[in-house]
Amino acid sequence: MNDSTRTSTAMLAGALAAAIAGAGGFASPAHAANEKCYGISLAGQNDCAAGPGTTCAGTSTVDYQGNAWKLVPEGTCQLYGTSTEEAKYELPGDREGSLEPLARDVPA
Amino acid sequence: MPAQAELAGALLAADRPAPAGLLPAGRFAVHRNNVVAGLVEALGAAYPAVRSLVGERFFRAAATDFVRREPPRSPVLIDYGGGFAGFLGSFRPAAGLPYLAPVARLERAWLLAYHAAEAAPLPIAALAQMPEAVLGRCRLVPHPSLRLVVSSFPVVALWAANTGRGPHEAVDLDRAETALVVRPEELVVVESLTPGMAAFVATLADDQPLGAAAEAAMRADSGFELGPALGRLFALGAVVGLRQSSFEGDSR
Amino acid sequence: MIAATIPRASGLGLKSRHCAEILASRPRVGWFEVHPENYMGAGGPPHRRLAAIRRDYPLSLHGVGLSIGGEGPLDAAHLARLRTLVERYEPGLVSEHLAWSSHEGVYFNDLLPLPYTDGTLARVVEHVDRLQEGLGRPILLENPSSYLTFEESTLAEPAFLGEIARRSGCGLLLDLNNVFVSSQNLGFTPESYIDSFPLDEVGEIHLGGHATEPDGLLVDAHDRAVADPVWALLALVLQRTGVLPVLVEWDNDVPAWPVLHREAVLAQRLLDNCRHARAG
Repeated sequence: MNDSTRTSTAMLAGALAAAIAGAGGFASPAHAANEKCYGISLAGQNDCAAGPGTTCAGTSTVDYQGNAWKLVPEGTCQLYGTSTEEAKYELPGDREGSLEPLARDVPA
Repeated sequence: MPAQAELAGALLAADRPAPAGLLPAGRFAVHRNNVVAGLVEALGAAYPAVRSLVGERFFRAAATDFVRREPPRSPVLIDYGGGFAGFLGSFRPAAGLPYLAPVARLERAWLLAYHAAEAAPLPIAALAQMPEAVLGRCRLVPHPSLRLVVSSFPVVALWAANTGRGPHEAVDLDRAETALVVRPEELVVVESLTPGMAAFVATLADDQPLGAAAEAAMRADSGFELGPALGRLFALGAVVGLRQSSFEGDSR
Repeated sequence: MIAATIPRASGLGLKSRHCAEILASRPRVGWFEVHPENYMGAGGPPHRRLAAIRRDYPLSLHGVGLSIGGEGPLDAAHLARLRTLVERYEPGLVSEHLAWSSHEGVYFNDLLPLPYTDGTLARVVEHVDRLQEGLGRPILLENPSSYLTFEESTLAEPAFLGEIARRSGCGLLLDLNNVFVSSQNLGFTPESYIDSFPLDEVGEIHLGGHATEPDGLLVDAHDRAVADPVWALLALVLQRTGVLPVLVEWDNDVPAWPVLHREAVLAQRLLDNCRHARAG
């Protein structure tokens, strides 16, 4: 057994003893505490509406055919800084979006 | 008659005309819309912080691009969108937001943790029962939900601020953060780790023994304290088993 | 776990956000239904919630992902996942849709329409056979909401569904909102559809809300309360079938629990009326 291993073993044993002695004293993690406070009825921000799910329903939300190449991000990222230089992108080829909703046929 | 291949091809291509043989032909747009809008909504549910960061219009447009490029390969939609962070990382219109992809990686880790297999967390007392001499060679089996997200941006603060869990003002973009994500019971826990703790957990998660993890942590952060680190890891419920070495079997 | 059998009573599509309230107050609801695809993760809160609900209520699994009308072979991996859930949660009913949703490994997350021909009939029957063999139990197959038809179709939808039931031994799930949506979009009367529907095969009825687009098109959006003409169709069908399990689906813009629960109470009232009328 070399010196570094011995040191390591002693250190581990000491650290473990300290950790066990203090095991009851750790606060619950900040985000877990928050999520408990929110309760599970708040949709979208917690475990209740977590991630994508399937339904057998259609949607009346109309997808926009337009694309992001003409858009500038405009959410909370503006609080943290968006490079306006970066926002002026070159459009690759003739890619352009019109942001028109999909046409739907009038019922026969 | 339109074979399903033709219908399938036209569903994801907005510029392709509706296949022949449908009455009325224009109604094919309803299905095209259901497919794309439904999957965009699915991504929005999986990536709420990204959505909040870029706003609804930009998110829908970016997600639509992603959906057409990487549609689901399984009807289990809870798994959909694993490639979204990578997509955002090379998405030119979002080039000014280099923290977007790391936030997406954290949201993906959160979702995987949420749906991960169950396993009972081990109390730290179990470690104390190991003979002192083998402690350094002991490996900790991480909870199946445990994930680390390493970023050069304050990924936890950005995520928390954009999911209603933390304040917007506190986000300083010059700070790097590594997130630990774990769901030992009901709730997914997301914690920002110190550099020492990040190295410690990463080494353990890489199936290296406790001694090696402690050394890696001290190399990363001379102020690393092993006792509190071990205490925290077990208190989080992040450890579900111990192994003395890779050959001695699992003592879970 | 209480008995699996789905009662001839009203039930509701289970939404995760309502689970805490349901588990705390144990409301009078005959049964719940979920999409099995949303419970195909390894673990986590969805399974914990569903297991808790299942202890107190009968459960129905209403699949959306098997692509029964698909041209390719039935997805064996997905069938195996479904079987695992059936074994774990012991549902009283298992149902799927007359639709396709996957092609060559890509999943489209929509219930896509089929032409009604002898060829597609044979294919759907074969897939229903495989599904029922794989699960070791009969299933119910649901009529779709339609926005278009195929020029090549040679069979009417009720006859097509009746023939599937006859050949495969499966039952049918009659979605009355789908009947109404299709009738308005394609120009027939819902009563004529019901007149020709093989009502003896029906093991469950679905109700749900639909959206009306500016151009008049109805979309099966499950985003609001059941419409009055759909309630009227329920009364009409129950007169002919007697009481059956009736489920209300509300999947988008999901309301607070009391609003959803009221839909189940309304459905139960029609079931009670039907029972009394038949007894009297």
